[in-house]
Amino acid sequence: MVAFPPVFGMSAAVVGLATIVAPLAAFLLLGLLRPLRATGTPAAAVAIVAALVSTACAFALVFAGAPREAVADLTVPWLVSAGQTWATLGVYLDATSVPMLAVVTLVGLCVQVYSLGYLHDEPKESFGRYYAFHSLFLVAMLLLVVAKDLLQLFVGWELVGLASYLLIGFWWQKPSAARAAVKAFWLTKLADIGLGAAIVVLYVQTHALDWSPATVQALGPAGATLVAALLFVAVMGKSAQFPLHVWLPDAMEGPTPVSALLHAATMVAAGVYLLVRAWPIFDAAPDVRLAMAWIGAFTGLFASVVACAQTDIKKVLAYSTCAQLGYMVAAAGAGAIDAAYAHLIGHAAFKALLFLGAGCLIHAVHSNELADMGGLLRRLKFSGGAFIVGALALGLYPSKELVLAGVGHAGLQGPLVLLLAAAGLTAFYMTRSVLLALFGPASAHADHAHEAPASMLAPVLLLALLSVAGFALFDSVAPVLVAVRERPHSWLGHIAHGLALAGFAVGFALYGPRRRDALALPGVRAGLAFVRAAAVDRAFQAAYRMGLLAFSRSVAWVDRYLIDGVMNLSAFASQSGAERARRIQTGKTYDYLTAVVAGLLLLAVASVYAR
Amino acid sequence: MQGATLVQIAVAAPLVAFAVLVAMPGRLVGLVRWTSVVGAAVSLAAALGAAATYDRTAAGIQHVSSLPFVPSLGIALTFGVDGWSLPLLVLTGVILLAGVFASWDVKERPRDFFALLLLLSGGVQGVFASLDLFVFFLCYEIAVLPMYLLIAIWGTSKRVAKGGPLGFVWSRLDIGGKEYAAMKLTLMLLVGSALVLFAMVGLYVAAGSQSFDIRDLAKVPFERNLQLWAFVALWVGFGSLAGVFPFHTWSPDGHAAAPTAVSMLHAGVLMKLGAYGVIRIGMVLLPEGARELAWLVGVVATVNILWGALAAMAQTDLKYIIAYSSVSHMGVVMLGAATLTVNGWNGAVFQMVAHGLMTALFFALVGLVYGRAHSRDVPQMGGFGARMPGIAVCFTIAALSSLGLPGLAGFGAEFLVFLGAWQGGQPVWAVAGLVGAFLTAVYVLRAAKAIFWGPYGQAASASDPPGAPDPYPDLSDARGVEWFSLAVLVALLVALGVWPRLGLDLIDVGTADYLPAVAGRALEVLR
Repeated sequence: MVAFPPVFGMSAAVVGLATIVAPLAAFLLLGLLRPLRATGTPAAAVAIVAALVSTACAFALVFAGAPREAVADLTVPWLVSAGQTWATLGVYLDATSVPMLAVVTLVGLCVQVYSLGYLHDEPKESFGRYYAFHSLFLVAMLLLVVAKDLLQLFVGWELVGLASYLLIGFWWQKPSAARAAVKAFWLTKLADIGLGAAIVVLYVQTHALDWSPATVQALGPAGATLVAALLFVAVMGKSAQFPLHVWLPDAMEGPTPVSALLHAATMVAAGVYLLVRAWPIFDAAPDVRLAMAWIGAFTGLFASVVACAQTDIKKVLAYSTCAQLGYMVAAAGAGAIDAAYAHLIGHAAFKALLFLGAGCLIHAVHSNELADMGGLLRRLKFSGGAFIVGALALGLYPSKELVLAGVGHAGLQGPLVLLLAAAGLTAFYMTRSVLLALFGPASAHADHAHEAPASMLAPVLLLALLSVAGFALFDSVAPVLVAVRERPHSWLGHIAHGLALAGFAVGFALYGPRRRDALALPGVRAGLAFVRAAAVDRAFQAAYRMGLLAFSRSVAWVDRYLIDGVMNLSAFASQSGAERARRIQTGKTYDYLTAVVAGLLLLAVASVYAR
Repeated sequence: MQGATLVQIAVAAPLVAFAVLVAMPGRLVGLVRWTSVVGAAVSLAAALGAAATYDRTAAGIQHVSSLPFVPSLGIALTFGVDGWSLPLLVLTGVILLAGVFASWDVKERPRDFFALLLLLSGGVQGVFASLDLFVFFLCYEIAVLPMYLLIAIWGTSKRVAKGGPLGFVWSRLDIGGKEYAAMKLTLMLLVGSALVLFAMVGLYVAAGSQSFDIRDLAKVPFERNLQLWAFVALWVGFGSLAGVFPFHTWSPDGHAAAPTAVSMLHAGVLMKLGAYGVIRIGMVLLPEGARELAWLVGVVATVNILWGALAAMAQTDLKYIIAYSSVSHMGVVMLGAATLTVNGWNGAVFQMVAHGLMTALFFALVGLVYGRAHSRDVPQMGGFGARMPGIAVCFTIAALSSLGLPGLAGFGAEFLVFLGAWQGGQPVWAVAGLVGAFLTAVYVLRAAKAIFWGPYGQAASASDPPGAPDPYPDLSDARGVEWFSLAVLVALLVALGVWPRLGLDLIDVGTADYLPAVAGRALEVLR
């Protein structure tokens, strides 16, 4: 095993630990010290400083110049069984976890700084609470990233779910936010049954919890298929794959920076990160990978279609996130895990950019609706420009070609066609959003729109810069960061570009200078798509209300009126029986005499017959 | 101090406090409260001391002391502790202390209330520390019987709608009333006790009528038939206190009618007596019976988990929700016991501790909410978070522990049990348990949302005209000593969640002591 070079003169694992400890300290300070939390901005400063420390450590690890095989490992025994440790907790750094550390901390930092401006009008107490939740989120996500085995990954995974529940429900007094928070938790928890079962199976079969080749060997082909399938169920929930995607659009109820953090760059990415991390297991399960390719590709197309019909700018981005996660899942399904990871990292940057840019637009017009925007570019040059950069990146990012090439290589024609169609649609709906929000006649709200404060613009511009840099330097950075194979200059890339350009063109034709009643235009197809999207949601609702709740009511009825009824019946019977028996005690001599005579007669008869 | 003395103090302290309270004039309320605090705190401190002086490498039963009681029958006041009983002794101390603080403001006959509470806890400690089967049973009864008075005098009543094919029983029974609930709880548990007594005497006689000492009885190879019927009797008998389906129906009515501290102690530790009895007496003394019937115990436990969770989901009364959740979570304990694996047993005992803390916290919070809202009807609530933020946070933490969130005590316990189930060759049990955890997430988060989230007074304002008076004028956050029990319970839930080995290292020793003999296989195979 190659050792990780020291960073800041310390062992790399300690620096990795610091990335977690800093936000943890911030969370504890803000969570436990109510007076500090209630100060508002100073409370935010605590969290931001912690995130800064964390980011600095993470980037130091990225630039430490470690060889790809280098590993740093610092774990303590966490669970025991018959005196022997079998689960550990700690920091495990290698070529897979370190890039993700940097992505998570950087996006987290950007979002925290951005929120300073975006949530400026929140009451001080809830502002402090917001930053406490953000710190908790970072802790959870980083725990997941540096996990050495599946159990710690599960711990982080569930805590990420908790943090997202708290952040989606940040405006907890709003009924829709409360509902969305609970819904997100339930759906991901439902899918997590798969992860829990996968860990159990893995341990029972191999007495190990990791994803090393030795463990996969011990698991055998059938075991690997079972574990991979169970893990994938959890991935579908976390990474919003059809049909478990229904929580994601609702989750936009949280503040926009939260959407950027959780539902674009990190939380939903946890599912794909699990695919990358536990890749040896998936690699050994070709049947599961085939299903992954199809489900990912279908989600990619489906969510893209639905995105075309949205009128809320955040929902457009939410469905586009679904679709891009579909790309990553499909790539993993095709065996191109490097492409999936590259797309994960690239997407984290430009989708955070898009959400934060959209947040600037929303901040300016106080509405999420595209109809309330329009002509904003004149007044919002920086954030509008950044949003356009994000849209272009989403349409043309090089890692998408890697995904398509991977799927094509694997000979999966069906998924390939779905994904290519999705690529065209992506360009179309982003063009539509850009044109509706930034160009054309100014809406009533746009007149007094003003550019966002510096605290919001700085992270947006940084992310825009990173997106451009990632675009320009992709071929030199990606192989180092995630060991992607060389980008194939195949006909697939040309087709993808052609489709994207066609998407841009159609979008421009429909929503460009001569736009008609644009929001009504996509017409029949998109309208149908919307109905279908809602249909999945309605199916879940029906299963919950008419299935689960109705069933629980009948269980409670049986419990109360039949099972407990029998207990009550026994009490009833003994009471009324006792009352009957009491009537014998009449107190009249002739009654007792009758009884005595009758008893004697009975005895006499009995003695005759007994002989 | 000697470990044996510490164990004796842990058992005796609540009983001494009980005796002092009985002798004390009832009007000295302050003195009554602080006497109770001292009794509880001394018991807790002694239990902690006993745990600290327990030698984990030597394992086995330690800190043994014995006083003759009825020598002619081989009965002695023998006390001692092992890796299982120590965490439960500490748990009882913690919950008793929290319960005393949670009932600080009991207005009606406080002296009698606290006296009975301490008597009950002394009984519980006696069960966990006892090594003599007769004394075990005696303490078991001491733990159960005060409950009748505590519920019938200090409890609250509720109307349960008449219905079902057996609706005619309403003519005689005041179903949901506090006297009804107290009587039902006592009678159902006494039927269980009768079964336990029956099995106990059977074992004593079969072993040669020499000794009631559990260690002696454990050495006797009882014949197969005796093992089978005695195991069933002990399982059903003790199990009725652990809420084993279908003998669980005393629990929702009893917990709903009981005052706060009584619910805390009852769900927090008394139900554990039942599970502890099944494992420590039933399984350890009757290994063959346990092996033969583990499948039945496991199947019923699975039913418990799912049935309790589904029934909880349909409740609208806050106390009933929590009471049914106890039925569900005790199923996890019994499931772990039925796996006969190291992880399953570790998980079962750990779940006793985790669930004890979690449900005590829940009932403390429910008491606070009820005391302020004067209602337990969840659909009528909403937006309470604005008026009681601290209570809302604690409720959320209890809810998260109950659904098995990592970082809180419930996770380690449930995960170990499900792991043990699969290792024991019962994947269906494990999956059912995981589904149960999901169902728990549904009903607890639904309740948390309905009570604390959303706009304040939403449900009330739907029918009332604007400007109607505040439906809940007394809502406020916890105050003063009320924080104490909440803070202690939350802190322990987090501590055991972050570092499960605080409890698990000891429990693991106990499991290693008993499991190989019960499962009939080497420890290494059972890992």
